Amino acid sequence: MENIYKPYLMEIKEIIDETVDTRTLRLQFRSEEDKKRFSFKAGQFAEYSVFGEGECTFCIASPPTRMDFIECSFKQVGKVTNALRRLNVGDTIGFRGPYGNWFPVEEMKGKNIVFIAGGIGLAPVRSVILNVLDRRKEFKDITIIYGARSVGDLVYKRELREWQGMSDVRTVVTVDPGGETPDWKGEIGFVPTIVEKAAPKSDNAVSIICGPPIMIKFTLPVMMKLGFKEENIITTLENRMKCGLGKCGRCNIGNIYVCKDGPVFSYSQLKVLPQEY
Amino acid sequence: MEEYIISLEDLKKLADNLIKEGTDLFLPSPDNSRFVRLKKADELKLAPEARPSDISAKQAAFPKCDPVLFYKRDKSTVELKDAEPSANQVLFGLKPCDAAAFGIMNKVFNWDYKDNFFNKRLENTLVIGLACTYSDDYCFCTSVGLSPVSETGSDIFLVRLSDAQFAARAVTDKGIQFVKKYSQLFAKGDSSKSKPALESIKGPARKFDSKKVKDWLDKNFETDFFNPVGDTCLGCGQCAFVCPTCHCFDIVDEDYSYSEGRRMKNWDACQFSLFTLHASGHNPRDNQAKRYRQRVNHKFKYYIDRFKEILCTGCGRCSRGCPVTIDIGSIVTKIGNLT
Amino acid sequence: MADIISIARGVFENKKADILIGYTKATSEGRTRPVIVRSADEVQNLVLNSSCLNNLATYLTRKENKGKKVAIVAKGCDIKSIVQLIAESQIKRENVYIIGVKCNGVKRSFEGEDSKKIAEKCLNCNVRTPHLADETVDMSDEGLTGKDEKAELIEKLDSMSAEERFAFWEEQFEKCIKCYACRQACPLCYCERCIADKSMPRWVESSPTKRGNFAWNIVRAFHLSGRCIGCNECERVCPAGIPLSLLNRKMVMVAKSEFGYESGMSADAPTLIGTYDLKDKEEFIK
Ligand SMILES: Cc1cc2nc3c(=O)[nH]c(=O)nc-3n(C[C@H](O)[C@H](O)[C@H](O)COP(=O)(O)OP(=O)(O)OC[C@H]3O[C@@H](n4cnc5c(N)ncnc54)[C@H](O)[C@@H]3O)c2cc1C
Ligand code: SF4
Ligand code: SF4
Ligand code: SF4
Ligand code: SF4
Ligand code: SF4
Ligand code: FES
Repeated sequence: MENIYKPYLMEIKEIIDETVDTRTLRLQFRSEEDKKRFSFKAGQFAEYSVFGEGECTFCIASPPTRMDFIECSFKQVGKVTNALRRLNVGDTIGFRGPYGNWFPVEEMKGKNIVFIAGGIGLAPVRSVILNVLDRRKEFKDITIIYGARSVGDLVYKRELREWQGMSDVRTVVTVDPGGETPDWKGEIGFVPTIVEKAAPKSDNAVSIICGPPIMIKFTLPVMMKLGFKEENIITTLENRMKCGLGKCGRCNIGNIYVCKDGPVFSYSQLKVLPQEY
Repeated sequence: MEEYIISLEDLKKLADNLIKEGTDLFLPSPDNSRFVRLKKADELKLAPEARPSDISAKQAAFPKCDPVLFYKRDKSTVELKDAEPSANQVLFGLKPCDAAAFGIMNKVFNWDYKDNFFNKRLENTLVIGLACTYSDDYCFCTSVGLSPVSETGSDIFLVRLSDAQFAARAVTDKGIQFVKKYSQLFAKGDSSKSKPALESIKGPARKFDSKKVKDWLDKNFETDFFNPVGDTCLGCGQCAFVCPTCHCFDIVDEDYSYSEGRRMKNWDACQFSLFTLHASGHNPRDNQAKRYRQRVNHKFKYYIDRFKEILCTGCGRCSRGCPVTIDIGSIVTKIGNLT
Repeated sequence: MADIISIARGVFENKKADILIGYTKATSEGRTRPVIVRSADEVQNLVLNSSCLNNLATYLTRKENKGKKVAIVAKGCDIKSIVQLIAESQIKRENVYIIGVKCNGVKRSFEGEDSKKIAEKCLNCNVRTPHLADETVDMSDEGLTGKDEKAELIEKLDSMSAEERFAFWEEQFEKCIKCYACRQACPLCYCERCIADKSMPRWVESSPTKRGNFAWNIVRAFHLSGRCIGCNECERVCPAGIPLSLLNRKMVMVAKSEFGYESGMSADAPTLIGTYDLKDKEEFIK
């Protein structure tokens, strides 16, 4: 009997602390067969589990162009994320997925791309950034704007530095006013302000925005001002989920199953949904 | 359709045979609060005049707690074992509003990924429905496309002819096979026997037009209509848990020893305030009125949008059992009259 | 004496409260349901009779009603819960306007045979005349009658061996579906985050399994010992038909016999659970 609730077993190969409360896990399938069978697209998510504690939902933060490891980054907020933090390299976790839809990377070919992320919202965006960078030639101008509350809250610092060093990528990193350190060389200001300042061009452009609801709320009007079309602004939703399979009813917004029809939505799709996210 | 006659005595014999074969028989408990296993065949009772049991029969396919896998931890490794759903079961005397629910839930459990725990259980279940002569102010099966005599969801459908005698119709292939297997207990009959009994059943007084309800819901998501309900709704799980069609669940791990445990699907409900709460404290449905709006919309709009079925069989359980008698039937009747 | 409608009208006309929690007719004859009214124009559908089973005090601690001046229709037993809430510093006396019901007892249940019997809690009631109220109203209905079947059951349980008692509760708790209607209906289950909803650590297993159900029902009984005022709403609303009063009443009896304490009688007296006394007994713990 096929069991849709049965996870793959994954081994934790490496643990990277991003911030005080955010950690990245590098995972590898315990079974070669599972590894061969598995494929995903940038933007999809999975259910990660600590046996005895339960499951929780994270996006897959690594790109489909790098299949040696599956990576996820999570913030310690509750039962399972706490338990995950107690695990060590070599330990086993459960992994169900990939679930949900994905960023329209194929449709983005030949276009300018603007990535905007706040806080841990960079996790899903990182998957698609790395995906796009691995296929750099297929896309035109790439802009990355990333902000966090403070310097200490910036995730993926290694990669941010790498991206800043790339000649064919424009990377702007900012922290909220008051969150800077004496030697901070990046921008200071909230993400919407910095987006307005950076003023990425909107013609032939697609934008991917992920972050806290408040950031998205104030960034959207800026994007409209810059001339981005609603259907070219793409974001992800984080409704609570349990099954990821369109069964448990947890993630519903109106007649939408965020776990199946999402989590990736364009702003034009979001606008017609009931305000329940 | 094939119609047969079976006496109560023979039904008991049938039950006895089934029990001896190791089949689990379920029927409403003596206090009519829930479905329980029949232990002795001569305790079999079929009561078309009884109200729907307080808790529905959905447990047969969607138990309150459904293990999906077992795990065993050993240092850094984990071993998984699949859970296997239970053996054959027969549900006796289901009201049409209970029997029809399985087909409705079947949609969500199979529209994309297949939930084989639900499927396997349903496959192993034979549903013996019973024409219902009860109705009260909370029933409204006839407004959601069913009726006290609808056979939807039943494999075999019984109609009481007298205290000692029932007409039995074999509705599905499964039902036909079943009757064949126990043919010595079923005498040939014809529909002239059950017709007068069926015609005498009037059904519930409540009537509303579910299309009109949906029309209004389609246009009125932002509304203060649900505020008075939110005022008194207690946010418990009673309405969802007794409902034959509610299918929300949580996924939970529980250890039963130091190194072993199981993962299971447990009933959950959209009326609980924690159902949609995020870690940040943000809650998309942050008051009881919004949560009740979800309940009504899911049943009378979203599920229809998605699966072309009303997520309600009109059994009235949720309302009869509601601690504060919030009555979904009268609420949707009101909505139907708003358009 | 004034009826509930004119009293309610008076409450709004004299600005005694912002909202009033009372009873109104439910869909079927013989039932009532709670309602919140907000102005004198809305009072005409209020009712008061022996079908007013709900204990409305459960609404007093709700987030949206906090800080408001609330008028509430309350039978003696409901007033006990208001008193207990005041004693436990959950509400302020000056924020509730109590319309006390001079009560003849209520039905055991809305429908069926039990609707002809008096609720068991009413048989030994010592607060048929409100012990704390801002004004009173008569319940018009005649008194009902009936037998205290639960008292016999409690005695029977007391005489059982521990194993027999365990078997009895095992059979009862097996039925629990973890709907938490008992908790939601209870006026004294007001915790902002119930222990059953806490996951770090998970004190009470959330599954409706034998173990999880035992944990939940025992924890709830413990948390209400010395606090339960016996309105019996939990038992009334339980869809699984679990006789929860057997637990809670026993706790009330122990509080009384061992500590001389009766919850819900005085808002000023120290609460049993909230006070430590060197003379507290332990020998009743078996
Ligand atoms: C599609 C999707 C992708 C996500 N990607 C990431 C990611 O890459 N990194 C990351 O850190 N987090 C992500 N989240 C959020 C993450 O799922 C929750 O933070 C996590 O499930 C909490 O699990 P827990 O067991 O530790 O918390 P619990 O102990 O279950 O709960 C602690 C608190 O978190 C709340 N909570 C539970 N689930 C969620 C949820 N899904 N969203 C918000 N709050 C929740 C609870 O209400 C509670 O208040 C994502 C969520 C979704 C739906
Ligand atoms: S409608 Fe009734 S049963 Fe449902 S959550 Fe509200 S109070 Fe509980
Ligand atoms: S919503 Fe109420 S009336 Fe409808 S099927 Fe569920 S319990 Fe029955
Ligand atoms: S009404 Fe609520 S509990 Fe029932 S299936 Fe719908 S969302 Fe789930
Ligand atoms: S316990 Fe007393 S006050 Fe409460 S309903 Fe019964 S008689 Fe009335
Ligand atoms: S009301 Fe009954 S079934 Fe529901 S949680 Fe309480 S004891 Fe369990
Ligand atoms: S997470 Fe279960 S339905 Fe979407």
